[in-house]
Amino acid sequence: MSNNIYLPHLVTIEDIYEEAPDVRSFRLVFKDKALRESFDFKTGQFGLYSAFGLGESTFCIASAPTRKGYIQCTFRRSGRVTGGLSELSIGDTMGFRGPYGNFFPVDEWKGKNLVFIAGGIGLPPVRSVIWNCLDRREEFGDITVVYGARTVADLVYKNELQHWEDRNDVRLIQAVDPGGQTEDWKGKVGFVPTVLEEAAPKAENTVAVTCGPPIMIKFVLKALEKLGFSDDNVYTTLENKMKCGVGKCGRCNVGDIYVCKEGPVYTAAEVKRMYNDF
Amino acid sequence: MADRILKKEDLGRLIASVNAKGGQFIAPALDARQVVFKPVTKAEEVVTDYIVARNSYKELVFPQTEVVADFTIGKHGVDLKGRDVAPQETIVFGARPCEAVSLSSLRAIFTWDYIDEFYTKREDALVVITVACTKADDVCFCTTVELSPETKTGSDIYLKETESGDYIVEAVTDKGRAFIEKHASAFSEGSAKAKALFIPEKIGTIDLKKISARLKDKSHYDDQVWGRLTRKCIGCGACTFVCPTCHCFDITDEGTAFAGERRKNWDACQFDTFTLHASGHNPRHYQYQRWRNRFMCKFNYYPEKFASKGCVGCGRCIRVCPVRLDITEVMEEFSK
Repeated sequence: MSNNIYLPHLVTIEDIYEEAPDVRSFRLVFKDKALRESFDFKTGQFGLYSAFGLGESTFCIASAPTRKGYIQCTFRRSGRVTGGLSELSIGDTMGFRGPYGNFFPVDEWKGKNLVFIAGGIGLPPVRSVIWNCLDRREEFGDITVVYGARTVADLVYKNELQHWEDRNDVRLIQAVDPGGQTEDWKGKVGFVPTVLEEAAPKAENTVAVTCGPPIMIKFVLKALEKLGFSDDNVYTTLENKMKCGVGKCGRCNVGDIYVCKEGPVYTAAEVKRMYNDF
Repeated sequence: MADRILKKEDLGRLIASVNAKGGQFIAPALDARQVVFKPVTKAEEVVTDYIVARNSYKELVFPQTEVVADFTIGKHGVDLKGRDVAPQETIVFGARPCEAVSLSSLRAIFTWDYIDEFYTKREDALVVITVACTKADDVCFCTTVELSPETKTGSDIYLKETESGDYIVEAVTDKGRAFIEKHASAFSEGSAKAKALFIPEKIGTIDLKKISARLKDKSHYDDQVWGRLTRKCIGCGACTFVCPTCHCFDITDEGTAFAGERRKNWDACQFDTFTLHASGHNPRHYQYQRWRNRFMCKFNYYPEKFASKGCVGCGRCIRVCPVRLDITEVMEEFSK
């Protein structure tokens, strides 16, 4: 077939990182050398990852397009496919289709301050943007990251959080939900929207990017509004169940909006215009 | 000028000619005591007294299950091969004018930026021979969705029955003309009088423009009326499987631990797991939300987004529904 849109590329698992209980990241390289060189994507795009014999699941590309030669995905073991992926080891083969969907308009943000707000397993898509912007650090103003999880153990990318903490050109605020702290926890205790309000990043000339559980996003959007952010300067990425990723299988739509084709990245203004189909 | 005629006694010759040239001939025939589209090899198998076949012929272009790739998993990794589709020429005889319209709707989806060649190659190899309706049942509502037995969109060849059971042949597309040329021996010239077509009465209280306007107005999205009208739906999905425009599918792997196939399988937006997230969250948790999605798809997404018909008025979903949920009643409500 000249063009089989459902045929994945084969990728090798080059490295595995345990991020949190049941959450792990894979560093993936394309088996096809030419593709390894030519593969390109934009931050915010997603792919379909195959555990052969079990099926495909949709995750964002969690690495940044500024890091060439590999892609990274991060997932929580929760169903059949992610269960199968969790059984794979370094050197094993899996499948990847993509990149699909739209992306964060990072180039339009030059000269602006950036605030990233993520909760739990919502950090991976935001992490792609963060690294993209950190790799082009001089193009942006202040960078603030607000990240929270239910417990200290549930925070993902712990090494990178430490790295951001250590950098003096990033303001990192970490939080865990009340009850989720450990004795030596130095971060905040509280829910992400509240922590965000307390951190009170300036809205002027600032773009905010958020991803997390739907309930968190809902209250983060409210908090940002209170802080004076306009809906056009607030971005989020919608995660819906997908099977094809290319606008055919019919399940990722929020009302008339197909998340796979017309998303997954939207401004808060766009989200507010959608049918209540979340 | 003489008409081109397909005599009823030449139908067998046409079927034989198609089969002899490597094609398959699909026509309404009995299966499990019902009239369905299925392959036939003899004219005697073809049923001519029917309203619409129970199934839609979309399964010829969008099979219920289709292998898209094969894989084997061994010590040294995974071998993966994409399937190609090289469909044989397929003739569907006895399609009704309403359902012929649906192919352009399906094509709009399957070619939206990414071309699904499993669909397009099958459709390219399909010749649609429509037989215009000389009767209808109480469920037919093509005229209500602005179609009629006179609609020729989607038909390659359009047939009208004559009093004697022959057909007056009209080639609508180049594909249809080429088909007639290829199987010329089955056709003859003559002059005959067509039986009168039966045009079902339009359901006067339904207004597509009003439905469209009301669905576009997002303030109606959470109307209680959705729950009230569709509460009895049991989510069996039968309506979606017989519908000529429903296109939803799943992609699943089947096989053993060491070898298998990746398949595209029919799925339905009416199923509770259809949109269920891994987290347990389900954007369409309630059945009325799933029913609303199907109705929105038919009367908003298809027409607005893909400039095509989401509903052709064939009535299959009404005939097959185990709880007698009638889509036209919802259309009436939204025409108010």
